[in-house]
Amino acid sequence: MLNPRIEPFLLDVQKPSRYTGGEIGEIIKDKSKIDVRFAFCFPDIYDVGMSHLGMKILYSLMNERENYWCERVFAPWTDMEEIMRREKILLYALESGDEIRNFDFVGFTLQYEMSYTNILNMLDLAGIPVLQKDRGEQIFPLVVGGGPCACNPEPIADFFDLFILGEGEEVNLELMDLYHKMHDEGVTRSAFLKAAAQIPGIYVPSLYDVAYHEDGTVQSITPHDGAPESIKKRAMTDMNQAYYPEQVVIPFIEPIHDRVSVEVLRGCIRGCRFCQAGFLYRPFREKSAETICRQGITLCQNSGYDELSLSSLSTSDHSQIEQILDKLLEYTAEEHINLSLPSLRIDNFSKSVMEKVTTIRKSGLTFAPEAGTQRLRDVINKNVTEEEVMRTCKIAFEGGYTTVKLYFMMGLPTETDEDIIGIAELAQKVVNLFYDMPEHAKGKLQVSISTATFVPKPFTPFEFEPQTTKEEILRKQQILKKAIKSKKIKASMHISDVSQMEAVLARGDRRICSVIYDAWKSGCHLDSWEEFFEAEKWYAAFEKNHLDPAFYANRTRNYDEIMPWNHIDYLVSKKFLIRENQKAHAGQTTPPCRQSCAGCGANACLGRACF
Amino acid sequence: MKDYRILFEKKGISKYISHLDLNRCMIRTIRRSGLPAWYTEGFHPHLYLMFPLALSLGIESICEVMDLRLTEELPPEEILSRLNAALPEGLHALAVREPVMQATDIAAAEYQLCLSAPEIPDLSGLWNSFISQPEILIQKKTKKGMKELNIKEMITIQECVSQNQKLTLVLRLPAGNEGSLNLTVVADAFQKYADKPILVESACRTKIFSENYQDFF
Repeated sequence: MLNPRIEPFLLDVQKPSRYTGGEIGEIIKDKSKIDVRFAFCFPDIYDVGMSHLGMKILYSLMNERENYWCERVFAPWTDMEEIMRREKILLYALESGDEIRNFDFVGFTLQYEMSYTNILNMLDLAGIPVLQKDRGEQIFPLVVGGGPCACNPEPIADFFDLFILGEGEEVNLELMDLYHKMHDEGVTRSAFLKAAAQIPGIYVPSLYDVAYHEDGTVQSITPHDGAPESIKKRAMTDMNQAYYPEQVVIPFIEPIHDRVSVEVLRGCIRGCRFCQAGFLYRPFREKSAETICRQGITLCQNSGYDELSLSSLSTSDHSQIEQILDKLLEYTAEEHINLSLPSLRIDNFSKSVMEKVTTIRKSGLTFAPEAGTQRLRDVINKNVTEEEVMRTCKIAFEGGYTTVKLYFMMGLPTETDEDIIGIAELAQKVVNLFYDMPEHAKGKLQVSISTATFVPKPFTPFEFEPQTTKEEILRKQQILKKAIKSKKIKASMHISDVSQMEAVLARGDRRICSVIYDAWKSGCHLDSWEEFFEAEKWYAAFEKNHLDPAFYANRTRNYDEIMPWNHIDYLVSKKFLIRENQKAHAGQTTPPCRQSCAGCGANACLGRACF
Repeated sequence: MKDYRILFEKKGISKYISHLDLNRCMIRTIRRSGLPAWYTEGFHPHLYLMFPLALSLGIESICEVMDLRLTEELPPEEILSRLNAALPEGLHALAVREPVMQATDIAAAEYQLCLSAPEIPDLSGLWNSFISQPEILIQKKTKKGMKELNIKEMITIQECVSQNQKLTLVLRLPAGNEGSLNLTVVADAFQKYADKPILVESACRTKIFSENYQDFF
């Protein structure tokens, strides 16, 4: 129901249907019959949040329970925020229009570090105390968080009552069930939190004391009130049994990804050493071809969407990808649906897969070699050879493609100037390949290179590594610019302080909470939107708290250092990460999990080998 | 292959759906409805759908029109019921028929505009003096920059009723290819003239006409 207080202002803002609700697929329930209300908050604007698959899964899942109601909440864009603050309109949920401060759960999904200030801002807009310690003993609203960044929740620990680690399909409901029971018993917030800490996968930061060494590193993390020493993430064991929605909320405005998606697999067999997702989402688990096709077809039918995406970290690694494509294409071609595979890998991008995809729509090709030389690709375990890049480009050019995008990272561990020059050389080889094909002598081609600054993340073999400083990245960018000779190569490089801040927030400890708080107080939010990121305010917040961003971002950490997330267990063992780090420095690769098991430890939750 | 013209209303929260978004929304609605939509030929087939006259964001309507092509002939009741089962809140199909007129035949539209202004004691009197000016000039954005335009002759007043501090106007304004005047332009001009806040209580398109005020649908 449209919030009546917001209605008079809807024509004063851009894209008013961000704020109305009422979309097809929205779930409306009778409030009087609801026991637990959950506000699912995405700490960014509607357009971004409505593209997020995890939210769609959990929204439908929680609403499957008749007496629970999950609603959607997004950060308002600046125009609407100004109105809400001026008119004292509190942040509300789209389905009911009700203020979320009266909900039982206010849950944030933690997708990227630079959204942290939005969380504080949304809590403030909702009239909920930003700091956990100020929320008193009333049991609701409980501010909870989950999603990939929950793997190191320490920099935002002061703002949350609890975190949900790992996959939420089961544990979210267990948490709500416990709340339902204890709420009826009339218990306090702290009593509930103590009980919740006993649920596997639930981390209650207020039940842990952190002590620091004089040099600023963590000395100890000590639980009290019966909280577990270490909290293990939750993972589904059978993806075919895992809940998947049959309908989604269909936005009126165009979100970033305007399509329905089927998750085809979880985890990744690749083990690229820089990629946090590749370790966080282990073990590797596939849905069967039958499940994928059924779920995809159901979603298309119910939503009316004309684009279906097969999503995962690496869709072409599905063991039955060809059968899936064959079966789905039969349906999608008949129904005028565009089938998209957003994450294809270079090495197994076979001609037949490509032909299947291009029967529907031809767009540019995007590859991520990540590093310019074979040496550095071996270091990061991006098991892609130059020959494979060339072979794939050749297939693509033969298939009529004329734009190729190549993604690289700068500032990778062990990187030298030769590796940077290698980026330009690789792009040049792609250009030469195109013009060496007789049919393309006069053809048009564009090869775009895009470079991002590497950010070391927790639970990766590079969690020990220092981030390259901004000055050094600037120098490397100049080298790359000089090394590019062809006009067919377009390089987009931009530098900002966002990368360093991301590195700090990713591997920070609890002392970063006050930096985030002060940065937000001084006006920082929507930091992931370049036009709003204000580096000076962030640096001022560090200074105010006598902390140095370089300590968190640019320092090499010893293998035996207690990381701020030491008590959090994402199934991959630290021993494994150290082993992989050593192999990286020795330039040794690790084969994909399907070829041989590298012993990360994540399969323990399955009680069997992954393959 | 058979062409149909759908008459539909756009009320409540659906008035916040922009024209571009309405197009995408209707495509999905038709796909969900299971109606045998006709797709264009060619490399990128798309569902054939046409809106003869766009409606501004924030204005409701009881007379919107959309043209749809189906691969087979279906009873109008079935088309209506299938569409209505799939349409989101606020959008509702009212009637269906074979198109008679062309989109280019559209010449005018009628709107009902309800205004209130707590700070203006005699809103009706103010409206009368506004509309009796020798000319009503507005600034219009064109490709060559701002241009001054007299809109007075473009406004036809069908009704003007003042009741319970509210002024309800029924206005006919030119619409379509031969030049059109947006209702919000009229409301804004009046607002500027009044120099005090005027609230738009409701704004609704009530009719779409061809020449000589014939019903377009």
